Amino acid sequence: MTVTTQGRRASEGGRAQRPQNTGGRSSSPRARPSRARPLVGYGRWWWALPGLLLVLGIQYTATSVGGFFAFTNWSGIGSFEWIGLENFREIFQDPEKVRALGNTLLLAFGSVLLTNVFGLMLALALNRGLRTRYALRVVFFMPVVLSPLAVSYVWKFIFDFNGPLNQLLAAGGLQELQRPWLADPNLAIWAVLGVIVWQQTGIAMVIYLAGLAAVPVEIEEAAAIDGASHWQRFLAVTVPSIRPAIAIATTLGLVNGLRIFDQIMALTAGGPAGATENLATEVYKEAFSLGRFGYGAALALLLTVLILVCAMLQQYATRDRSKES
Amino acid sequence: MTQHRRSFSRYGWALAVPTVGALLLTTACSGESSESVDGANGFSLTYATSNNLESPYERLARVYMEENPDVSIELAPQPNDRYGETLRTQLQAGNAPDVVQTAPGTGQAQGIVPLAEAGFLEPLDDAAAELIPAGNESLFYTEDELYGQPVDLTVSGFVYNTSAADAAGLDEFPDATAELLDLCETLANDGTSAIALAGAAPPNTGMTAMSVSATRVYAETPDWNQQRADGAVTFADSEGWQETLETIVELNETGCFQDGAEGGGFDAITNGLAQGTSLGAFIPSGAASELQSAAPDQNFAIEAFPPPEGGDPYILASSNYSLSINAASERKEAAQEFLDWVAEPEQAQLFADISGVLPVTGVADVDLSDTRYAPVGELIQSESYTALPNSTWPNQSVYDELSTGVQGLLTGQSTVDQVLTAMDDAWEN
Repeated sequence: MTVTTQGRRASEGGRAQRPQNTGGRSSSPRARPSRARPLVGYGRWWWALPGLLLVLGIQYTATSVGGFFAFTNWSGIGSFEWIGLENFREIFQDPEKVRALGNTLLLAFGSVLLTNVFGLMLALALNRGLRTRYALRVVFFMPVVLSPLAVSYVWKFIFDFNGPLNQLLAAGGLQELQRPWLADPNLAIWAVLGVIVWQQTGIAMVIYLAGLAAVPVEIEEAAAIDGASHWQRFLAVTVPSIRPAIAIATTLGLVNGLRIFDQIMALTAGGPAGATENLATEVYKEAFSLGRFGYGAALALLLTVLILVCAMLQQYATRDRSKES
Repeated sequence: MTQHRRSFSRYGWALAVPTVGALLLTTACSGESSESVDGANGFSLTYATSNNLESPYERLARVYMEENPDVSIELAPQPNDRYGETLRTQLQAGNAPDVVQTAPGTGQAQGIVPLAEAGFLEPLDDAAAELIPAGNESLFYTEDELYGQPVDLTVSGFVYNTSAADAAGLDEFPDATAELLDLCETLANDGTSAIALAGAAPPNTGMTAMSVSATRVYAETPDWNQQRADGAVTFADSEGWQETLETIVELNETGCFQDGAEGGGFDAITNGLAQGTSLGAFIPSGAASELQSAAPDQNFAIEAFPPPEGGDPYILASSNYSLSINAASERKEAAQEFLDWVAEPEQAQLFADISGVLPVTGVADVDLSDTRYAPVGELIQSESYTALPNSTWPNQSVYDELSTGVQGLLTGQSTVDQVLTAMDDAWEN
């Protein structure tokens, strides 16, 4: 906190203080102010130009052009007409798209909640004390480095009607529980969520481990001496100390959760009968599989706005309130 | 400091030059692919492929180059599941190969009609016109110009494992749906399914519905699609289409499909038919030869799905693949000469031999009695068949509603009326 405040003050007073900051060598009135410039000002501004142009040209121009097509009926080839908000009207009148929007939010918030809860629990368990903690950290983090597609295909095999899960149930005498898990309209979306949480928990664990490393041991010990229980120490000492880690883990999780694509395509391809479609898979399906590029672009624009709004709300919710006080 | 900054600038330019060079090189590499084809008679050819077996297009190109040593053909195979989107992107970008594999009609991303209407295809000459099956002109022509040359005659029927049927003690394939339903019950008790269904794969659920519709809709009203386009009929009001989907529901409830069929993929079909745990599946006839390669000890035949009581047998058979010339090609003459050569009967037979389909020309004179097409030989030679229904549907969404709707029927998410109404809505869009 102190460091941040000092840094801000130094930054705010930058220009005015510069002559004084040059020390003994700046006592001469001819001393060049450039000596005090930070390293980033060392070169010329146009060194950033190629990068800026690439970002503007590849990222923002392409996104803007895609946004333009959201207001057209372009099929992906040939000519098109400007149709205003017709695509958006159609989206909100189509129950399948509304369901996809609901699935998007369910997968995003469900995965954020579960990965962070499990990730924090793992981080707390593997933070100190346990002798095998380093090996266990590797084990729990390993799914993160695997390809989401590869992981999803493995789980698809597990969930298959003739796969290991149903065979295990049969071996345990639970034949009545056997079912095509990924083709059950009531269970498929939860199966997808389970696979996502299984793979993403490791990244949340690593973020929280980094956050827990900054928790002062002496404060925890002082709280313990004062008679605080484990739960009280967790709420009063640990959670405030790892607030930045919570902000990072939830922001990354939410943004990634809103644009989940690979896992759905590999596990269910949006089925059964659209039960696991989300906005990202609908964008792909409409724009590229069904040749309705304008409609797909409208869905993509909606998804972009949704991610933007959710990220802003999440940033607001997890802001450092100590600064406000 | 000044000296340091100067040297920094110098090194910076030294870095910038190769960077710009690399960018220019990248740009050059992404240019028109046909520019890399050697010689004035060379051209490039792209086609879809889904396995590592030799593609019929590859064989045709190889034989053509052997017969014409001055011609070099650059082959550009692409994954089957993304072929349509990739081709559209290439055509839009102006870097598509000179000769491209297309699909007749409008129902797919690589459909001839939408690509021709967008100006991406070059009109073809008369050699191709002679190959167009009678009544299928609308799948290949736009505004009196021909844009696609068919290369096959594919039967979309019921691929039947006769070896597994013999092992199950079945002498004959059922003549009517009621007989098939009885057979399903008998087989289910023995742990075998009459039909392997990839319920989670929309191409298979859609193909299943269309194959059943041949006897329920198109046998009586071959021009049903035209009537739908004219607004005279709708899916929701069609007794034939209602009966089609109700038949699928009945097949499911009777146990005709394998356990867990609603979640099955194409592996359920290949494994089921190759191992004999399922007797048949709704897949294109060309797939039978691939199954034969995978299971040499099994024998496969192409059957017509049994009609309802008192109905006539009828099948789907049409050219599913075609070749077209890229309108932006700079080697149209060489490409057209290749297509003229492909149109000759010898090449049609060569394509059929490799891909397991029927030759696009002269099938009426071919003796099918000793082939796996024997059960449908009479139907083919009496022309009791129609093209794939979705090839003349106005957009891909209609077929998407059908294929996902069938899965919804299997899982209980949809009703027959809901599926048909959704197809009508998609047609109007």
